[in-house]
Amino acid sequence: MALATASAAATRQDAPPGGRIRRVGIATPYLFLLPYLLLFGTFVLAPAAYGLWVSLHDWDYLLPGKPFVGLANYHALLDSGSAVYEEFWQSMRATGIFTVASVPLLVVVPLGLALLLNRSFPGRTFFRAVYFAPYVLGVAVIGVLWRFLLDPNLGAVNGLLRAVGLPSDTPWITGLPWAWISLVAVTVWWTIGFNAVIYLAGLQDIPRELYEAARIDGGGKWAEFRHITLPGLRPVLVFVVINTMLASSNMFGQSLLITQGAPGNETRTAIMYIAEKGLREYNMGTAAAMSYVLTLALLLASVIIFRLFRDRDAV
Amino acid sequence: MTINLNRRNLLGLGLGAGSAALLAACGDSGPSDKVTGGGQNAAPAATDYTGPNVSLAFWNGFTGGDGPFMKKLVDQFNTEHPNIKVTMNVYQWADYYQKVPAAVSTGNGPDLGIMHVDHVATNAARGVVLPLDDLAKTLNLTEADFSPPVWKAGVYHDKRYSIPLDVHPLGLFYNKSVLEKAGLDPAKPPMTADDYMKALDTLKSKGIQGHWATPFPFTGEMQFTALLWQFGGQLFDEQGTKPMFAEQAGVQALTWLTDLVKNGYSPKNVAQDADVVALRNGKNAFNWNGIWTINTLKEDKALQWGAAPLPQIGTQKAAWAGSHQFVQFKQKQADANKLTAGKVFINWISQHSIEWAKGGQVPARKEIRDSAEFQALTEQAAIGTQIDYLQFLPSTPGISDAMATVDTAVNEAILLRKEPGKALADAAAKAGQILEANRKKYGN
Amino acid sequence: MTRTRGIAWYTILIGLSLIFIAPLVWMLITSFKTTGEATRVPPTLLPQEPSTHAYDTLFAADSQTPVLRWFLNSLLAAGAQAVLILVVASMAAYALARLEFRGKKLLFGLIIGTLFVPVFTLIIPNFLIVDRFGWLDTLWALIVPGAAGAFGVFFLRQFFLGLPRELEEAAQLEGANAWQIFSKVILPLSKPALATLAVISFLANWNDFIWPVYVLFSPEHFTLPPGLSILQGAYTIDYPVIMGGAALASVPALILFLITQRYVIEGVSRSGLKG
Repeated sequence: MALATASAAATRQDAPPGGRIRRVGIATPYLFLLPYLLLFGTFVLAPAAYGLWVSLHDWDYLLPGKPFVGLANYHALLDSGSAVYEEFWQSMRATGIFTVASVPLLVVVPLGLALLLNRSFPGRTFFRAVYFAPYVLGVAVIGVLWRFLLDPNLGAVNGLLRAVGLPSDTPWITGLPWAWISLVAVTVWWTIGFNAVIYLAGLQDIPRELYEAARIDGGGKWAEFRHITLPGLRPVLVFVVINTMLASSNMFGQSLLITQGAPGNETRTAIMYIAEKGLREYNMGTAAAMSYVLTLALLLASVIIFRLFRDRDAV
Repeated sequence: MTINLNRRNLLGLGLGAGSAALLAACGDSGPSDKVTGGGQNAAPAATDYTGPNVSLAFWNGFTGGDGPFMKKLVDQFNTEHPNIKVTMNVYQWADYYQKVPAAVSTGNGPDLGIMHVDHVATNAARGVVLPLDDLAKTLNLTEADFSPPVWKAGVYHDKRYSIPLDVHPLGLFYNKSVLEKAGLDPAKPPMTADDYMKALDTLKSKGIQGHWATPFPFTGEMQFTALLWQFGGQLFDEQGTKPMFAEQAGVQALTWLTDLVKNGYSPKNVAQDADVVALRNGKNAFNWNGIWTINTLKEDKALQWGAAPLPQIGTQKAAWAGSHQFVQFKQKQADANKLTAGKVFINWISQHSIEWAKGGQVPARKEIRDSAEFQALTEQAAIGTQIDYLQFLPSTPGISDAMATVDTAVNEAILLRKEPGKALADAAAKAGQILEANRKKYGN
Repeated sequence: MTRTRGIAWYTILIGLSLIFIAPLVWMLITSFKTTGEATRVPPTLLPQEPSTHAYDTLFAADSQTPVLRWFLNSLLAAGAQAVLILVVASMAAYALARLEFRGKKLLFGLIIGTLFVPVFTLIIPNFLIVDRFGWLDTLWALIVPGAAGAFGVFFLRQFFLGLPRELEEAAQLEGANAWQIFSKVILPLSKPALATLAVISFLANWNDFIWPVYVLFSPEHFTLPPGLSILQGAYTIDYPVIMGGAALASVPALILFLITQRYVIEGVSRSGLKG
């Protein structure tokens, strides 16, 4: 059973190092980490800690009084009578809807695309560039472009549907569930190349001997994918899932520009709301508290996802 | 979207003491001391500047088509005042309002700027802008030189923080070819509620939806507020402490807009800017839009269009307007020469604002509005006739936070998701909470 | 591949490509229209009145809008940041993936944990820190803070985990130290991952808008995104100018992508396990 051996080999790569001779000085790992940790401590950890501190205050960097309010900002998020409760949880729900709808597509479709483009055929670099092309545009351009194309009354999308005799009055950006469908579809179109190139790089990590061994064994394409490709991609897959989840849950540009949060505030995402509260209304304490509630929710979600992966080593 | 070297040692997880100090220092970096000088009893400011050479940074949001008109004025000012050099930096308005307070707080702020009138109170309360009473006093500027609502709009806590440059009201833009095709007089757009509805009926019978009702703030919220005022209502009470837009006048106003959709005078699901794009394409006859639309429509050489004051739908005449106003920013160290030079600049530009009007604005100064030169700008002058019944938001810090709830109500009603009365009542409940929180935050 | 299968294969590929290319082609066509024609309904397929208005606006000789300068600033900031990320993240990721040390799990957990904090929370504190360093209105503010994110470390660590260990072990037996293993074994094996990280980091910085708007004041220090935004109208949308700017900004990014793909494809020919 060469397949079984190959699969075991593929898995074994990320087994923890056991009893190897290591001649590494005690300081070596820290020296490798030092340059990054300097940056990390200054520009990520310190600001994040500062954000926590801000969330315990009624905080506006320009006002003299920044009264300490303890957990009041957090309490307001759980108190159904507060000014922010309803809108905050509605925005969290919007983020949830978008994340749940977009992540599976953004994880699976690019993988299929990467497998297609990993084969050797004339013009493959050209096609890679084509599928990656939308991603080189910034969200500002994507937003303006699709808002124009998806305009329910004047847009090219409904115009095309009209031309071929299909229903052409779909409210792509002003009605539900259409607005979500549009936001997810635009995001997939825009960022499919991002995960695809990550998968493509990951596929290079898998030793080709494993495939050759499997081919001699005659296992078929699906078996190869199951027993060699997937295990070999596992660490990269973990990265893609986590990163895509975080990217989707941080979505705000598409909503801001394409739907403007409409209809009502249905497509206003948590980040959009946090930015409004913090950067436009200068309620930075509230905004920081909201950020950390979102952080907590995402951490919980990822713990659940890891449980599904059941992979202690790759994470 | 990446937000993310310190020579200090940050080993492992322990943050160095240096960083802690650094963060502590960030804690109160805002210019929070009470402003002195330039207040009510200030000595008059100088009208000309004879001191040593100074350079002034002037920031605003006049991007795209507006910028060149202001740039020309700045260049002319620099030529006429060899000892003052003004450099103008431009940012998108949305970025500008986030950027300026942050820059001012770290002592990197500009000397001069422009603010929309509904941002002045907020920035005054946050200590971003300086009082300008002395300038008004020196120049003998009074209400009579401008128009009462425009002049009053820049006052917060009995101090003046801004000097009006222009007003940009909502106006009626109409497609003459479409009116003609429907058998209506392209030289006489409807000006009363009855005539307006008749025109819409005529257009509808010819298969044209004549007033696309937009559910988005640009310009749905502006149309709603104009109608609210026309029906005799108010957004908030005088002090900006209580929302009043959900009362009868508000419901009437929003119902009128919503009925345009319900009765087929407007398509459903009008997207952002679709109203004016439809007007340019002959699919829409009337568009209530800001005066800046003049420049947009001028780009279509073949388009036959006109501009007029808003029709009177309610019981009185009223229109929404915004206003660009001059402000001076707080510095870490006040420099008397720069302050004086800045005031000279504000005064000079204000006096030369006819050039600015050509960029598609109504000058705030009465003498300029009354000039033959301004009257020759047909479209601007037509929309400018509304000057005496324009309305602005109250000068309350954070008032735009409460206006966000109005945006949502207008959106939900025009998209037919909620009845107007219900949408407004829900919004008013939220707005009340926001106003109260802001009162606590900014003090009374 | 047989002939018919070849034809079917390309039909699928090209059909899919159209979905990705059509809006971009439309973007390019729009950039050659007049402002009026850009909003025609139904849209004109090819410009009826071809116009270079957009590009004239973009390249108008004006001290306020030095587009070429923005372009160079963007190139410098995005390029420098990508290099910085590659250097610091690859070293840190190697330690986290391959070396044993006290507190490793905790440290990695902390680094990954910060990925979950929304970037908006960090804007104002970072602004204040950058101000302390005297970096406001300089390219340093665009290069250094963004390199501190955990993305690159997490990304490379996952790739390093998947590398076969045999080569490292062989090098170790020959007496190579950690630095030699890292530079002579790990990095060469990771070309596809490094090239991919380079292009992703470059693009994130290249298209970043929010942070530059805070930290840059002078037009001559702008990068493309905040720069191009000031060419658009304050109250109206000038589609040709937006699309022209986007076309300008996307060309170098695509070229960079094509260059990096060489390293990714090269990776295929290397052999992982020396059986």
